[in-house]
Amino acid sequence: MSYESVLTTCPYCGCGCQFYLQVVNGNIVGVVPDKTHPIAEGALCIKGWNAHVFVQREDRLHKPLIKENGEFREAEWDEALDLVAEKLGEIKEKHGPDALATLCSAKCTNEENYLLQKLTRATIGTNNVDHCARLCHASTVTGLAHAFGSGAMTNSVPEIDDSDVILITGSNTIEQHPLIGSRMVKARERGAKIILIDPRRVPMRLFSDLYLQFIPGTDVAWLNGMMHVILKEKLHDKKYIKERTEGFEAFEKVVKKYDPKTVEKICGIPANLLEEAARMFAKAERGSIFYSMGITQHITGTDNVKSVANLAMLTGNVGKRAAGVNPLRGQNNVQGACDMGALPNVYPGYQAVANEDAAKKFEKAWGTKLSREPGLTIVEISNAARKGDVKGMYIVGENPMISDPDIEHVRQGLEALDFLVVQDIFMTETAALADVVLPASSYAEKEGTFTATDRRVQRVRKAIEPVGESREDWKIVIDIAKRLGGKGCDFESPAEIMDELASLAPIYGGVSFDRLDAGEDLLWPVKEPGHAGTEFLHEGQFTRGKGVFSPIEFREADELPDKEYPYILTTGRLMFQYHTGTMTRRTPALESESPNPFVEVNPEDAKELGIKNGDWLEVSSRRGSIKIQSRVANIVGKGVVFIPFHYAEAAANVLTNPALDPDSKIPELKVCAVAMKPLPK
Amino acid sequence: MLVLMLEDIRKLVKRTLDGGKVDGVLALWRENGRVGPHLFVKGDDVSTLEIDPKYNLAAVAILALASGAKKIALIGRGCDERALVELFKRYQIDEDAIEFIGMACSAEQAQACECDIPYPTKIQFGEKVDGVVPNELKNVDDMSLDERFAYWRDVFAKCIKCYGCKNACPVCVCQDCVLEDPMWVKKGEIPPEFPMFHLIRAYHMADRCVQCHECEEACPMDIPLTLLYRQLRQDMKDLFDYLPGASDAKPPLTTVLEDEKLEEGA
Ligand code: SF4
Ligand code: SF4
Ligand code: SF4
Repeated sequence: MSYESVLTTCPYCGCGCQFYLQVVNGNIVGVVPDKTHPIAEGALCIKGWNAHVFVQREDRLHKPLIKENGEFREAEWDEALDLVAEKLGEIKEKHGPDALATLCSAKCTNEENYLLQKLTRATIGTNNVDHCARLCHASTVTGLAHAFGSGAMTNSVPEIDDSDVILITGSNTIEQHPLIGSRMVKARERGAKIILIDPRRVPMRLFSDLYLQFIPGTDVAWLNGMMHVILKEKLHDKKYIKERTEGFEAFEKVVKKYDPKTVEKICGIPANLLEEAARMFAKAERGSIFYSMGITQHITGTDNVKSVANLAMLTGNVGKRAAGVNPLRGQNNVQGACDMGALPNVYPGYQAVANEDAAKKFEKAWGTKLSREPGLTIVEISNAARKGDVKGMYIVGENPMISDPDIEHVRQGLEALDFLVVQDIFMTETAALADVVLPASSYAEKEGTFTATDRRVQRVRKAIEPVGESREDWKIVIDIAKRLGGKGCDFESPAEIMDELASLAPIYGGVSFDRLDAGEDLLWPVKEPGHAGTEFLHEGQFTRGKGVFSPIEFREADELPDKEYPYILTTGRLMFQYHTGTMTRRTPALESESPNPFVEVNPEDAKELGIKNGDWLEVSSRRGSIKIQSRVANIVGKGVVFIPFHYAEAAANVLTNPALDPDSKIPELKVCAVAMKPLPK
Repeated sequence: MLVLMLEDIRKLVKRTLDGGKVDGVLALWRENGRVGPHLFVKGDDVSTLEIDPKYNLAAVAILALASGAKKIALIGRGCDERALVELFKRYQIDEDAIEFIGMACSAEQAQACECDIPYPTKIQFGEKVDGVVPNELKNVDDMSLDERFAYWRDVFAKCIKCYGCKNACPVCVCQDCVLEDPMWVKKGEIPPEFPMFHLIRAYHMADRCVQCHECEEACPMDIPLTLLYRQLRQDMKDLFDYLPGASDAKPPLTTVLEDEKLEEGA
């Protein structure tokens, strides 16, 4: 007889809602939202309410699998782990450490990501470690680090309550960050204004005071246009610019060229609406900007982010309560995975691997020599694998076979590897290609922490024992590290891992399980044990000293529509599904809401194509083609189509363009050119 | 006063557990700095017990009993008692399996819930205060039909179809929920079809809503759901002289609602 109610953190989005898992005799049967949690406040979105359903599904991986003659067979842990260590060791021996690469997971805990990057750097000896943040917010990290010195949300989520004007762009907030979206809507009911600038008429349009639709890939132009208007009408914050920023003159020169009429031609935003939006934002006492992948996933991703930073600084809105620049991070722990140094160029806490002092500090702590050479990013790893430069990979909890651009190339890369080990909770499309599959345990089966989008470090707690013979990721990583001769991996618990991390990453300096378990809300930087954490960043001074204005010229997307491929494809997500669907598609309440892939087509385009809602289309790009049903709706503009990327059976990423932003190496998932052909009925 | 009451409740819980007549006491506790439901068992530290905020524990009682507990005590408010009564009537919980320990809500607590009956029939702790009539109820009552329709259309346009109202409701206990049946409500749309989604739910609540406000508290969009249900409750009172949560009466709509799986095309 046992009934338990276990407080933990939602495994879906970066909002970081907490709830109580309801556990009856070892089965998780439901979820009760935490009424005392600052984000959830007793509510959840549909994913949170169903976050327990996939955990004990029958098709969870229960035993390690080893591929022999193209077929998987079950194996004992020791056999599988020995094989993994032997193969990875062999590749390192023969081809050097840089022939290996690992992918961390935005679904795993901070402690697990910390350990995996440590294994990669200290035990294997390469910086080839990355994760899916590359695909969503790499340009945020580079862009905001350049402008402010820190690449995270400047403000905390509850501050939304006190914003006067909320500018949302490239974020379908209600569907992707529901408990942040709802907060914005409620702020508006209390008098805040919402400006929505997005290529799609997303649900937030119902609650926006101004809605501006624009052509995907023209963000820099309209941002410059808004700033042009603000400067022309002298609505900028001169005192703030003078005291707190640098680089203004060069920036001003560039922005002068972007008058609203010119911008209208590039973006399709009527000049008067742009002016209105500029005024509304500039006049706000507390103006906050929220953005997501619509800004970041472009070859100009870093430029877009820098432009957003420009706008915020121009109006004096950084370093202030309820204002700021707020990139909404998608995954439950993508913020944490970045913080942990699951990136090829930084150690935990964003300390550059190329920085001699940082390298020395970590060498001392980890008792080994470390590479000063930044490693490869996700798309680069896949390219290197195809060329044979990377020969072995260890992928934890990621599914690049759906999530990455140009899947065909990803497949070729993974298939070209000498050895691939995948650690996950389900047999994913990526795991199917592996030589060894290691069964991991889900969020409900382990202790640890996730860091929500607003830098909020929160506890994940074990509600049940790992299902089958699955094991917690942190234990598996330790097992492999030890077999590879790794030192410094004698951790008894995730709390001990956090202690080591806190001693090395100053932004986590004061984080400990004890403080979190006492109910403290810790938003990093938490400098030392007595420090209360930081609600909003850059107060009085930017992390880097002065904020930097960047002069940014508009550049076109890598692939524009032409005669052969006349439509712009943009991709994104839906309320009821999540990423590659590994969890949501196993949850009937979610899957039944949105079971089928679709391409969203503007009614005018549908008419020209001679198709009706529900007709089948072949959508092709220069990289591949998929068959998919149409959904005719006035959501995208004419000439633009949208496909959610959750579905393996019609994977949007067969079509997308892997062209990279030169600074952040983020691929241009939001714009590519496609053709559409109606299929016979 | 409240502090004294809390101390008394903790003492009673300890006595109850030590007495050994129940397998556990369902209440709230403070753990990890937060407050949520907990089944206290013998030996637990009762000083962690809390009575705020309100979590309706009737639905949690179903889970606690599902673990195999034969009998539990439940520390609850008026709405907990009413929800329990509805669950007894609908054979979700065996009446003998629960020992209800009732608290009357304070005036502040009643105001926070805008509760019309902020006390149970059996009051062991606290003093009875008057029910609250929300201002918004009068506003909506005074509207013309068209105005009222527009009012509800606008507030329901905020719905993000989280089903939180259904999930949090202690008396929403149907195995197959019509809200999830594509025959009634189109799938995958945000906001869900107006007025189908919300009217179906409201209609189903008419003879069972005990005004515990869990639905509204679970609504991320602050949609005033209980306002609508409260009006329906009033209709039920006027039409059938029936008040959900009162122990004697049979639910008048039950015969229709309990086997509501309609045939395809019906
Ligand atoms: S809003 Fe995000 S964190 Fe909250 S319940 Fe939904 S998916 Fe989970
Ligand atoms: S409908 Fe709302 S107020 Fe009524 S019983 Fe259910 S949760 Fe409580
Ligand atoms: S709780 Fe609110 S948002 Fe969620 S389904 Fe119910 S009415 Fe809609």
